Amino acid sequence: MSGEKIRLNTEWLCDCGGCHVALVDLHEKILNVLDSVTIQHCPVLTDIKDYPEADIGILTGSIRTEHDRHAAGEMRKKCKTIIAFGTCAVYGGLHGAGLAHSREEIVDRVYRHNPTTRTDTVPDSEVTELAKLVTPVDEVIDVDLYLPGCPPHAHFIFESLATLIEQRAPRVTQDTVCARCNRQMVKSEVNAIKKSLDGVPDDNICFLSQGYICLGSVTLDRCLAPCPNHGVACTGCAGPTMQILTEPNRDIRTEVSDRMSRLTAIDGETIKTHMERTAKTQYAYAMATKMIGNKPTFLIKKWIADVEAGAHG
Amino acid sequence: MVQMEIREKACRGCKFCIDVCPTDALAFDEATQKAVVKTVEDCIGCLSCAYLCPSGAISHSGHHVVKNFYRNLYFSQRMEKFL
Repeated sequence: MSGEKIRLNTEWLCDCGGCHVALVDLHEKILNVLDSVTIQHCPVLTDIKDYPEADIGILTGSIRTEHDRHAAGEMRKKCKTIIAFGTCAVYGGLHGAGLAHSREEIVDRVYRHNPTTRTDTVPDSEVTELAKLVTPVDEVIDVDLYLPGCPPHAHFIFESLATLIEQRAPRVTQDTVCARCNRQMVKSEVNAIKKSLDGVPDDNICFLSQGYICLGSVTLDRCLAPCPNHGVACTGCAGPTMQILTEPNRDIRTEVSDRMSRLTAIDGETIKTHMERTAKTQYAYAMATKMIGNKPTFLIKKWIADVEAGAHG
Repeated sequence: MVQMEIREKACRGCKFCIDVCPTDALAFDEATQKAVVKTVEDCIGCLSCAYLCPSGAISHSGHHVVKNFYRNLYFSQRMEKFL
């Protein structure tokens, strides 16, 4: 590059703000980035309300309001390279699970009949109206690069930014969370699925071997596996692996049930049915994207109807 | 000639690859609790082990690549753009 600094815009759409915090997780390395980057529009750092011309645009969050749609469009016009940053931007993210409910149900639950706070006012000024559905960024504008992760670990952020700045090929891998986990997968005689709060899992043995549902083997590693290494089963926050995304008939539930049934004495069909009954949890991060939603094996509406029929019947 | 590599650090010792291999080309090292390549010349490049491996720790080279037209096109168009 010439002596000129690379201009960076960032913007948040419908998200928690964690991805912007993840940029600060670069710690001292952020100084290396700032050597070659000028931060322009950045809602947590600068007071620039419009969208200046930029080389790189980082978009975090998905599209849920008119503001989101407008901001994404403006960023696309002004930035040469758009990165869909974080699971929300790439797959719709955790609130993509709102797909399982109507807009009216969500507004009612959050603002009218919230079980934990007393409120009966639906916000109607200052914020734009909630769209009917959650939409990943790439269904609204063209996206040049995707970096999933909730949020992506600083290791991958630095690698991606350095790649762009130095104009070389990235060294990020297609590993799963299991590849970074320190637990040993052993065959066991466990014959029932446990809930996450049942008992205390052994620290050295794979969650699947112990009967807990863990999505490590079907989740892309953009986190360095902190959860399974600290006693919490993987919830799949970085989204599915390339393997699941490319194969139309392979799915989160089919792959986990296949592996878990090989490790334990639990029947594969039992695991698959359990995961369908808890589909809102298992597919929470990625159900809003067509990459998963268009799969012939993904039948979320049917699974929810089955659970509700069971609950009322 | 098919080559096969297992990244030891990523191997979780589940033995899936050993169970699934149709030609018994892999073995389990009891000392390290990891899978190892036993007889690579027996490998027919079916990639069953690579597919089933929970860590994606097994990689092959020099095998005959079969084109698979049955793919999730919506994702495949974007695959190259993933960081």
